[in-house]
Amino acid sequence: MGSMRILALLAVLLALLIAVPPFLDLSWQNALVNVLIASLFALAFNLLAGQAGLLSFGHAAYFGIGAFAALHLMIAVEDGLAFPTPLLPLAGAAAGFLAGLVAGYFATMRSGVYFALVTLAIAELLHSLAPHLAGTFGGEAGISSMRMPWQGIVFGSMLEVYYLTLGWVMLCGLGLWAYTRTPFGRLTLALRDNEQRVLFLGYDAHRAKVVVFAISAMASGVAGSLLAISNETANYSLFATDVSAQVVLQTFVGGSTVFFGPVIGATLFTLFSFLISDLTRSWVFYQGLIFVLVMLFAPTGIGGILYELVRHRRQLDWSRLAWPALQSILGGLLLAGGIVYLTETAAVLFGQDYAMRRSGAAGALPPYELFGIGWEPAGVLTWLLPAVLLLGGGGLLVAGRRQIDGVRGRRSAPAADAAPLGGTP
Amino acid sequence: MSPTTNPPALRLAAVSKSFGPIDVLQKLDLDIAPGERHAVIGPNGAGKSTLFNLISGLFAPSSGDIALNGRSIAGLSPHRINRAGLARSFQITNIFHRLSVFENVRIGVLARHRVRYGLFRSVAHMRAVNEESAAVLARVGLEPRADTLAGDLTYSEQRALEIGMTLTTGAEVILLDEPTAGMSREETAQAAELIRSVTAGKTLLMVEHDMSVVFSLCDRVSVLVYGSILATDTPERISANRAVQEAYLGEETS
Repeated sequence: MGSMRILALLAVLLALLIAVPPFLDLSWQNALVNVLIASLFALAFNLLAGQAGLLSFGHAAYFGIGAFAALHLMIAVEDGLAFPTPLLPLAGAAAGFLAGLVAGYFATMRSGVYFALVTLAIAELLHSLAPHLAGTFGGEAGISSMRMPWQGIVFGSMLEVYYLTLGWVMLCGLGLWAYTRTPFGRLTLALRDNEQRVLFLGYDAHRAKVVVFAISAMASGVAGSLLAISNETANYSLFATDVSAQVVLQTFVGGSTVFFGPVIGATLFTLFSFLISDLTRSWVFYQGLIFVLVMLFAPTGIGGILYELVRHRRQLDWSRLAWPALQSILGGLLLAGGIVYLTETAAVLFGQDYAMRRSGAAGALPPYELFGIGWEPAGVLTWLLPAVLLLGGGGLLVAGRRQIDGVRGRRSAPAADAAPLGGTP
Repeated sequence: MSPTTNPPALRLAAVSKSFGPIDVLQKLDLDIAPGERHAVIGPNGAGKSTLFNLISGLFAPSSGDIALNGRSIAGLSPHRINRAGLARSFQITNIFHRLSVFENVRIGVLARHRVRYGLFRSVAHMRAVNEESAAVLARVGLEPRADTLAGDLTYSEQRALEIGMTLTTGAEVILLDEPTAGMSREETAQAAELIRSVTAGKTLLMVEHDMSVVFSLCDRVSVLVYGSILATDTPERISANRAVQEAYLGEETS
């Protein structure tokens, strides 16, 4: 694919991101702000995880530090400091970079599991310390501030915050992309492949890893500061393990081997939680399930699959692939339906409400309502339906995949390494 | 360029290395003149790999000194020793598997051009670096494979790439660790020819099991047995040396 076509695609995407939000309601604007922030955070994380091969389990630390740094600057601006509001994320960048230098110096002394554990420990340390440091992190309640107007821009509406966020995310995303084309960006990939050889080619591998870590932490800090600007508040829960875990899940579901893969994962998961979390309390379970399935059946992530499809689009026999592909998608949807049905049924039957109704009915199994329909717990249809969905969907999916493999000549799928982050730019 | 009064390209003086109670190398002395091609042979476990790891900086010697062109390098980290002018290859192929062949070489060339940590220029626009990388690939015969992923090369191509990467940083002293290990007779002959051409004018120290390569390539040979140098001489005199025959050659040559 020509780089012109990619640029055109990005231009269209940017035009949509600029033009559409004014027509959306407040909650959607807010959701898009969160999508942008999560995207930048995931890109920053993937610089370390995907490109340098250093899997950090504590990136919440630098995200959180960026958020607090921006809030402290906002408080200073409230107190009269003349600092342009649009440049607030610089505080997050600086704080993230410095924290990354220090933490990275120690964490990158080790690699693999030990690196992951040190990063996890650093984030946990902050998470447990922050509630006790009232001056810096505002205790358990956290700290709050207000966005101050600047040069006639009030920064009162969510839309203004959205455009500010969009600008910074575009700037940092572009910067991170340009990074991959510099000598240091190529060195980063070499570090992932073979740190020892890098050392024997005359590079101080440890120093290089510290710099990669600090740059990743800097961009994470910008993402954190954008969240602080949007929420006007932050507390110690920003350092929590689930913040660190979210960015790992998003990055790997999106695809860590393709530059824009993490953006796909971040967008998907953020919108997923925005749309689904109101509907069901099991949404975290679904999110985990998606992660496990992607890791099992598409380890290069969604971005990796898309990249392979685009790369091989001329070799693929679409006329013969279309039908099995449709069949697989239908099978997957039926399967997903069955899983959702069973999960939600379990949530009802083992829930507290139902336990109370059962004790009210002297241990019998009263009927319940789900998806707007009444169900008998012991009814044949209640259990026949998921069985049909699971078996039928699974069968269609397996048969469809087999046909696809047949058309593609049962060639084993090319490994993740063929992705652009590995090739010559 | 260097008169004979110059210090040896590489000098080992009473170098010892022990891992805990085990003495792997004992009071090793070795001088390698600039431009010399020197082979180290010896049975498995004699300490050849440890010797290379000491010289290239993976380990520090327990005692003794190692000097490169008269300057001590003992105990320096590998990247400093590389910058001082010594490069090594590895017995087990040690390349960047998920980068292209071209990019494997370019990482080393970038180091030589001192843009190691360049963050504000596009590497695609560095003409001198890219031309030099292509030239290195041409020298090791991998130019047609420039865009292939290094992990997809054949074994002997990977060995050639390994040698190419060793050349990139512009070092004058080259250490090659069993460059022909695992190759067929034909591939071995090709590799020996390649080594001869690419190390012309440089100082070469190599661990090599294949005696035909040693004979065709090297000026002098050192025999390492149980952590000590048994003898250092020309290949012909080494093969005639009774002590060497008993210790090593008698068992291995056929």
